[in-house]
Amino acid sequence: MLNFIFFGGLVLYFLSMFLQFAGMVFKKESWTRIAWFLFLAGFVLETAYLIIRGIMAHRLPLSNQFEFASAFSWSIGALLIFCYYRLHLDWIQSIGIAATFLILSYAALQPREITELMPALRSSWFGFHIGSAAISYAAFILAGGVGVRYVLVEKKDSNDASLEQMDHFIYRLIALGILMLTITILSGAIWAEEAWSAFWTWDPKEVWALITWIIYAVYLHLRINRKRRGAFLAWYAILSVPVVLFTFIGVNTLLPGLHSYGALEALTRLM
Amino acid sequence: MKKILQFIQSMTFGLILLGAITACSVIGSLIVQNGEPMTYVRYYPDYYQIIFALKFDHIFTSWYFIALSALLCINLTLCSVIRISRISRQKPAAYEAAFAPVPEGNASPEQLERIRQKLESMRCRKEERNGITVYYRNDHGWYGSFLTHLGLLLTIILFGAAMYLPKVIDEPCYPGDSLILDDGTKITVDSFRIEDETGKLDYTSRINVILPDGRESGIKEVSVNHPVSMGRYKVYQQTYGTVGKIRAERNGKTDEFYLENKDFMSADGKNGIWFDELYPGFITDDQGRTTLIQSTSGHYENPVYVFTLMLDGSADMMMAFPGDTIEVKDLVFTFLDPVEYPGLRIKRTPVMINPLLLGAVLLMTLGLYLAMFAQPVIVAVGKNGYAVRGPKPENTQYEINMILKQDQKGTKV
Repeated sequence: MLNFIFFGGLVLYFLSMFLQFAGMVFKKESWTRIAWFLFLAGFVLETAYLIIRGIMAHRLPLSNQFEFASAFSWSIGALLIFCYYRLHLDWIQSIGIAATFLILSYAALQPREITELMPALRSSWFGFHIGSAAISYAAFILAGGVGVRYVLVEKKDSNDASLEQMDHFIYRLIALGILMLTITILSGAIWAEEAWSAFWTWDPKEVWALITWIIYAVYLHLRINRKRRGAFLAWYAILSVPVVLFTFIGVNTLLPGLHSYGALEALTRLM
Repeated sequence: MKKILQFIQSMTFGLILLGAITACSVIGSLIVQNGEPMTYVRYYPDYYQIIFALKFDHIFTSWYFIALSALLCINLTLCSVIRISRISRQKPAAYEAAFAPVPEGNASPEQLERIRQKLESMRCRKEERNGITVYYRNDHGWYGSFLTHLGLLLTIILFGAAMYLPKVIDEPCYPGDSLILDDGTKITVDSFRIEDETGKLDYTSRINVILPDGRESGIKEVSVNHPVSMGRYKVYQQTYGTVGKIRAERNGKTDEFYLENKDFMSADGKNGIWFDELYPGFITDDQGRTTLIQSTSGHYENPVYVFTLMLDGSADMMMAFPGDTIEVKDLVFTFLDPVEYPGLRIKRTPVMINPLLLGAVLLMTLGLYLAMFAQPVIVAVGKNGYAVRGPKPENTQYEINMILKQDQKGTKV
């Protein structure tokens, strides 16, 4: 049943993405409207899945790569819905739906069994630290997506009225992302002191979170320079996305450290 | 000299430093840090000399990384000083300048009304002079950037202090035993468990800390994520282990030992048992062959002692289970249940570092919030036009542009 809900959400996201692009290509507004409703239905299923999984596990569903990727995808969806209804940004649909689907597809490739929360993760900082990371990554991915749209629109018409809006929106998303990433890093440091006795251990995940933070901090500083606006910063937002993805996926798979919880048992063994 | 100072305090210099720190961080994350020299020779046979020469094996404690961090701190200090002095000059002047004449005709009366409504819905305060109404809010937003930089500066300095000043001791301690620290502080391990009542792994020690002045913590539980603080000390549940235990009897005298090493136990130096290893369990296959389990996480379910019996010049490797007895001449050995024990980490931190660091962290987060989500709003609205003023007019200008576009098109944007 739980798998049915999860894959139901994934299929709805896929159909939504497909219909969205078909609607854009064939200029059928009714298709994109249906795509949006399919997306909302997928989001409801994903939300239900995460809630049920959390209830079954007696904890927040954020403890492994699958759960984090699902929460990450959910965060993109939530931001997308917020942007659509609160900020009336309808052009963000296609980017957001694709990002939500792709990240959830990555989650689908991960082992899905519900595991007991290991002692190192049993902390009041757990939800705060990992939840803020999911939101920050979601904001950065959406910013990169908006960057892609900016570049495409600018290529067609460099005086398009939506360019200013997109530029501003990339900035707002990155501002949200960096605030949440700051909270992630700082709450992680405080948690690390409780768990490992050191605020900072230069663990690969910490280092790459710092690198991501620096890269987006540089974006905010570059933005102060009025000459470097528009396409330059849109490209910057796009090219920063691989760094976010590496921090999320690459570090866990290629650079194991204290955040690779599969290996933690071995590390904590004295004998 | 003035040019150098200007460069050091510039944003360009700050960005160069951030770029260099990022490059070092990438290298440090890709190359194993603080490994044995042979590790690098083995894994990077073509590059190990470069790694050692450029200190890539401990890049985060290399002189140049520390120098980059120190330069960043100087840059942040100068930026902060410049910012606060600039704010103290600009802030009163900006409110005064807000009443300057506004451009005529950049919005229709209907649009101006919409702008007014929007600003009032944002709960802006307003002041009117010479026919110009100035709406303003988020006064504290002026300090956002300053607080972010100051918070970051303090965070870096205090993080450094919190990383390098504490004295850290890692000690295993068997239940019932005590650790006496240099200053006389005594830490006693009352008991240790790997699993809780339900069988869930939880690695919990019950300890008592007695400070040199006689203050006592009482029995407290230490587990992962839940250290015990007492005075300047913090005690962590860091690791754990399982050690074998044996009872030796001779001529009515009994003694018990922990089997920590490959010890030889004998009365005459010739006959006795040579302890080899304690295994967590074993598996027996269909044909009765036994394989010892090398490692496990958690409790030792079926512990097996492996030892060599040395008797009259012969040596026989044997296995024993808890409760088994071996007689060697006049010595009687009884293998006992293994004992699980914690590896404690004891950290002595200078007073106030942690609270100060927490303060710096909060300051930085608050600064970021103010800098990005509570920027000052100063809008002057006249009879025939408006002007967005203040240090960061973009967000407000963007909001107003959206109102104007909405007004023009009559639809959402």
